[in-house]
Amino acid sequence: MPATGTALHWQLDAPYTARHVLIILALLVVILFTGHRTEMDKMVVMSAQAVGNLVGVVDDSQVVRGLSRVGQSMWPPVMGEKEEIARLPNLDKNNLPWFSYIEVQERIEQRLNPQTLQMEKETERLEYLVQPVGYLWTVLIKMIETFEIAIWGTLLSIIVSAPLAYYAARNYSPNGTTYTLARGTISLLRSAPELIVALFLVLAYGFGPIAGVLALGLHAAGFLGKFYAEDIENADKKPQEALEAIGAGKLKTLWYGVMPQVMPQYIAYSMYILDRNLRMATVIGLVGAGGIGQELKGRFDMFQYGHVATILLAIFIAVFLLDQFSARLRAKLI
Amino acid sequence: MIRFNSLSKVWPDGTQAVSNVSLVIPRGQFCVVLGPSGAGKSTLLRAVNGLMKPTEGSVSIDGVQLTTSSERALRQRVAMIHQHFNLTNRMSVAGNVLSGLLPVVSTARALLGWFRTEHRAKACELLKGVGLSPAHLQRRAGDLSGGQQQRVGIARAFMLDPEVVLADEPVASLDPKISRDILTLVRDAARERGTTVLCSLHQIDLAREFGDRIVGMRDGQVVFDGTPAEFTDERVRALYHGAQWDDKPAQVAEITDTVYTHPAIEPVLA
Repeated sequence: MPATGTALHWQLDAPYTARHVLIILALLVVILFTGHRTEMDKMVVMSAQAVGNLVGVVDDSQVVRGLSRVGQSMWPPVMGEKEEIARLPNLDKNNLPWFSYIEVQERIEQRLNPQTLQMEKETERLEYLVQPVGYLWTVLIKMIETFEIAIWGTLLSIIVSAPLAYYAARNYSPNGTTYTLARGTISLLRSAPELIVALFLVLAYGFGPIAGVLALGLHAAGFLGKFYAEDIENADKKPQEALEAIGAGKLKTLWYGVMPQVMPQYIAYSMYILDRNLRMATVIGLVGAGGIGQELKGRFDMFQYGHVATILLAIFIAVFLLDQFSARLRAKLI
Repeated sequence: MIRFNSLSKVWPDGTQAVSNVSLVIPRGQFCVVLGPSGAGKSTLLRAVNGLMKPTEGSVSIDGVQLTTSSERALRQRVAMIHQHFNLTNRMSVAGNVLSGLLPVVSTARALLGWFRTEHRAKACELLKGVGLSPAHLQRRAGDLSGGQQQRVGIARAFMLDPEVVLADEPVASLDPKISRDILTLVRDAARERGTTVLCSLHQIDLAREFGDRIVGMRDGQVVFDGTPAEFTDERVRALYHGAQWDDKPAQVAEITDTVYTHPAIEPVLA
């Protein structure tokens, strides 16, 4: 028997109530409705067919057919280049590019001789310049160009977002107006999709990397500004109080009381943006903003899927290498 | 000289942190503020450098009243030592000590981290003074032990040759021996320079040992003000327990069992 005066009519908050069940039911209805509209039901059926086809239960599957067609046309990835020498007026035969050789092919053609009115066989000698890793080289150069776009985009975003972050941090912004303005700018930058921005910038600056760098940089500045500002707001208040107490001034307090504490996070964010910019730089080339994307689109439009395969592999390897590098950098800095 | 002129502070939630406190602390005095938690010690200290804006009354240092316009200049003359050291943990000891100079260093120099030779020499000397070697300069502040961190905090506080040092429970998280070492450092450094120290403490023995004067606060009011000799045990009890205190003779339990039987205590929460 509990002692008198002990309060008993209380309980820990229940993890769920009838209201939660209702909300979940309502969500379920919405999900089923939108699922039909986004053809999720069809997706399940087609995927099941594909699996059935692979294990040999179902005869035909649209998905497997499509994938295998793409796979066949993409295999093997193109590495070399072969060009008719007649089309290369500037080629010096005594001084060929590295790793290349000349291949001679004989082509036999049937021709009608106008004098004898007989079909005659005619051999034609064709010389080709073969570069066994020529296309790999082209892709590498394009990939480096893409990297440069990504790096400059990241640099631009850091430069733009650093002052924005200062004004967008509630505890450092001079007043409410600057805070709102900075926050608004950051949201605006972040809300504009890179591809669309790049499309407009290509119209403004012409085809090439300028549009790419600007599009990536401005969009990423929206991200970095938000993250940087929130880190400033959440940083340990104690060293800031100590510097404020002696009248150090806001900028110096930020530099000595906040920056050393948030630096590892800042580097992590910036590395993520570099990673993201590298991936996006391959995409925005599609609208003509420079880099490997332009090459990818060209090959895609010419149905040269072997070349497309090489480019996709190159992108994958580049992203993977960057990931390894950033992991090491982070481990070193923390 | 610090002068509190009938200082009062009411927090927005209606709590009266400090009510009508008038005190004069002469230059060079080591003044200890004692009192139970929530008595308003920290609030009183923070009024001196403007971290707390009083609702009524004012504070003046050497006749200069602390206002919004004089605050920036006055703060340079008032250093602070904190309970949790308040160092930038991921920065070097050197950076933390030199950051005590930030109010007088140009922004360009501060951002580049280029401090004058005499400033760097001073940082070294102060570090030596608080018992750290130049080998500690490049260590990260957060990697040091608590006592060492507070030493860095003291070195930082004395970088600007302050006229007043506010020490807000500087030894609350340190062991008794290190606490005495730290307070000795503060007292000696202050005596050498003629610095006024306003120090809040929770340790009565340390207060008696180091204080030139003890101010006892309770519920935002000064209830004791005198020398350590005048601060008798009776007054300690009065300060911390107020009217609720009543002395009870110790009861000794008879040992009859292997299980310890607690002496009967009247239930407090009846």
